[in-house]
Amino acid sequence: MSTPPSSPSRLWSWRDPQPNPMKGGGNGHGRRSSPMSWRWGDRLVLVAAWGAGIFLCVTAAAIVLYMGYRGIQDLRPDLIFSHPRVGANGGFAGGFLDPLLGTILLTVIGIVIALPLALSSAVWIAEYGRPNWLARVVESSIEIVAGTPDIVIAIFGLAVFQVSLLAPLSFTSEGGGVYGRSFIAAGVMMSLLALPPMYAATRDGLQAVPAHMREAAFALGKTRITTIRRVLVPSVRSNIATGVTLGISRIIGSTAIVIILLGGLNIEPQGSVPGIGLLRGTGSSLTSYIYEASPAGEGGAPQKAYAAAFLLLIFVLALNLLVDRIGRSQARSTGLPTVGAVV
Amino acid sequence: MIERLRKPWPDHRAERTLGAVSLLVGVGVVAMVVFVATKAWPIFEHNGLSWLLGGGDFETEVAKMTAATNKPPASVYHLRAWPLIYGTILTSGIAVVLGMAIAVLSSVFIVELAPARVSRVVIPMVRLLASVPSVIYGLIGILVLVPFVGNHIISNQEKTSVQNVVQLTGAGLGVTVVILTVMITPIMIALICEALTSVPSSWREGAVALGLNPLRAIRAVTLKAIRPAIVAAAVLATARALGEAVMIQMVSGGKTFSPKPVDGVVFFFEPLRTLASAVLDYHDGISSPPLGATVYALALLLLFSAFALSVTGYLVKLPLRKYQTRG
Amino acid sequence: MHRIRRLSVALTVAGVVGVAAPVAANATSLVTISGATSSYPLVSLLAAKYIKLHPGKVRFKIAQGGTTVGLNDVKNGHVTIADVAQEPTGADAGLDFYPIAKYAICVVTNKSNTLSNLTPSEVTSIFTGKTKTWSGVPGATASGAIDVYSRTAVAGVLTSFKSLLLEGKSVVSAATEEATEGLMRQAVESDPNGIGFLSNYQANKGGLNSVSYNGVACNQTTAASGQYAGVSVFFEVTKGPATGAAAAFINWVDKSPAAKKIIASEWILIG
Repeated sequence: MSTPPSSPSRLWSWRDPQPNPMKGGGNGHGRRSSPMSWRWGDRLVLVAAWGAGIFLCVTAAAIVLYMGYRGIQDLRPDLIFSHPRVGANGGFAGGFLDPLLGTILLTVIGIVIALPLALSSAVWIAEYGRPNWLARVVESSIEIVAGTPDIVIAIFGLAVFQVSLLAPLSFTSEGGGVYGRSFIAAGVMMSLLALPPMYAATRDGLQAVPAHMREAAFALGKTRITTIRRVLVPSVRSNIATGVTLGISRIIGSTAIVIILLGGLNIEPQGSVPGIGLLRGTGSSLTSYIYEASPAGEGGAPQKAYAAAFLLLIFVLALNLLVDRIGRSQARSTGLPTVGAVV
Repeated sequence: MIERLRKPWPDHRAERTLGAVSLLVGVGVVAMVVFVATKAWPIFEHNGLSWLLGGGDFETEVAKMTAATNKPPASVYHLRAWPLIYGTILTSGIAVVLGMAIAVLSSVFIVELAPARVSRVVIPMVRLLASVPSVIYGLIGILVLVPFVGNHIISNQEKTSVQNVVQLTGAGLGVTVVILTVMITPIMIALICEALTSVPSSWREGAVALGLNPLRAIRAVTLKAIRPAIVAAAVLATARALGEAVMIQMVSGGKTFSPKPVDGVVFFFEPLRTLASAVLDYHDGISSPPLGATVYALALLLLFSAFALSVTGYLVKLPLRKYQTRG
Repeated sequence: MHRIRRLSVALTVAGVVGVAAPVAANATSLVTISGATSSYPLVSLLAAKYIKLHPGKVRFKIAQGGTTVGLNDVKNGHVTIADVAQEPTGADAGLDFYPIAKYAICVVTNKSNTLSNLTPSEVTSIFTGKTKTWSGVPGATASGAIDVYSRTAVAGVLTSFKSLLLEGKSVVSAATEEATEGLMRQAVESDPNGIGFLSNYQANKGGLNSVSYNGVACNQTTAASGQYAGVSVFFEVTKGPATGAAAAFINWVDKSPAAKKIIASEWILIG
């Protein structure tokens, strides 16, 4: 079941190398068919195609411009650096420092957990991969994870982390109900979000490494694992970077997991051991802050919602540019086939 | 012992370790599914499979579940969730159909029709649309589109025509479908564009040589050749649409109602609830046993639909294998 | 040799930290609260003030969900205290209700609809769906269909509204049900044909038109004096008598002048 879904690394990487009769390419002989000579139905389709393209551009521009317009009105530096509070007048007072830190913390946790898993799986599939049935199981399960909706992952996480065995990972209220919501709970589920892009990018990169690199290493007497560690993985560094950046975008953009697995607003560590307390504690992220500040949450602060949304959009755009950069620099420097910038 | 760990590992140990770690993901997934299925069991126990059908009033059933104590009587578990399933099918179905039309047209536009300058602008725009988080779509929906529809598009007469049954506030099927289409179209465009460029140009040139104008050549040859990619795009987009919870919850009106096509234009203004948005709505009631079982059952249903979708896509593409260019 | 020593020291430290962590974690007590969305602003303010005055002793975790969710949570032992916005009923045996403040339930319309007064029978007929258009409501400046907004079944404000201002009847089933007060306020603020009900704290924020009931305006003064008919109580509810940190907090809310100042700012003091 090799469907594109699990390998978004191929998206956006097409190039149009072939001469296109529509655009006047080719060897110059022959006339380009002018739309004036077509039947009406075809001309309508032409207009519709142009219309569709322009509609998308206009929508994208409208979203960015509108968010920019509202965001510039409402985003102020002091908002970024002050803590949110539930205001005396309802809605949110203060800024969104906690949600910002929460987003960063969740991203770090998610990537830290997902990266070793993704690398191991990709390396194992690309370089070993026997027995065959096991390889298929691993590939299918990662595809299943890739195809699972965010909200289902969130609910699954809630079910898992509310088990009393895992109570140390969040906290227990009096009366014995495990709360089940904490940074570590949300972070572990976020890693499931980030895993498929990282796995796919790394695996595609490894499969694209030409055989002569491996053979040269074997000829020098290296074992397989040393080859992987010292030769192959470093050569797919930019693929891994692309995958990580994709994973980060997925984590930053996810709302459902944060709402369900990280109930709260301010970062509140649980217990007094500094690092572990923070992991066990609750907080919020930019996305859940936007949700709560919008009319779907408590509704009182659309300006804050716009400001936070604008900030989020800037992050996402920056990540998009980063993926682009990595893709292009990889094509230039290594000369290996580009696995492409991805969605 | 530590020295032994620090030396380079023999291949077989490395292989076993990496394989075990890779298997961890698979095992984890299976374990989660099984675990949630056990938690959702009470709903199946008390309703069999008929909880997928209609007939009850979902909201009263949920209200009873929320008010239930720890060991409620069996009647509290009664559930009929068809309106949710209907809402999901409606929104995802319309969005995918609309989105597919727009995606095919735009892909043909980007790859075939647009001059290079225009393509260079359009592609980043489409990529931008794909990467906007759903909560931002929901924010624009609920702060801009819903009031606009509610105050300027829905006429008074339309409101009174259904007043006995439901209230029209602007949040409903129309806004949901519009935003959902915008969300899933870029995904389809990416796949279809890639497939379009992988069709050998000689096929298209052959058609043009036979006298078809370029647009017809595309329709006759290229689009038929990329049918597997279109199927894959549809599957991917449907999976994304099914799982969209946050945006839909913000703009769909929050009322478990089955929009009726016989209502004409009002059909597009009626509120609804989907499986995913219901899970998000009721997730904080998860500590109450019957409501928790309901939420887990809904999540399980979503998971199986996504999975069934994948399998269906695979099966549909099987007979199309012979037309495949690159996949 | 050195390496083994280093490793064992590291393990010992990790072990000590691992044991100390749960011990240290229990130094401050944790009070978990869930329940009414209408009393959430009040309880959050009170909790924040309590922490400021008694630092390091207790931590609060306040969730919402609605009165019924809070009652269930406290009955099942998931939380320490429930915020409740309705009077106790027979189903609440075994729970102790501690009143902390009174609040008034105001009928509200959109700001553009300058309806100034409604009689009890008008309120009942609007919310039960008998009156369907604004033309049937004297004094209303809106026109067209009446959009009734209500609360979901778990809301204490809804229960109190039904018993106090709606003569015990139910709101029409076609009404849009909002999950929280904030959502209700937002809905009526953006719908010129809307009508709903809110606690006085939310209703008097300024974006809505607060309607008098039977000639009596809905605000703190009329509620305190007993003139306004729709006055209900915020309770803090525990399973059995409150103990420990919860009892200290509830006691403080009952007696301390700082707490009374917070309550009197937007709500009505008990007694």
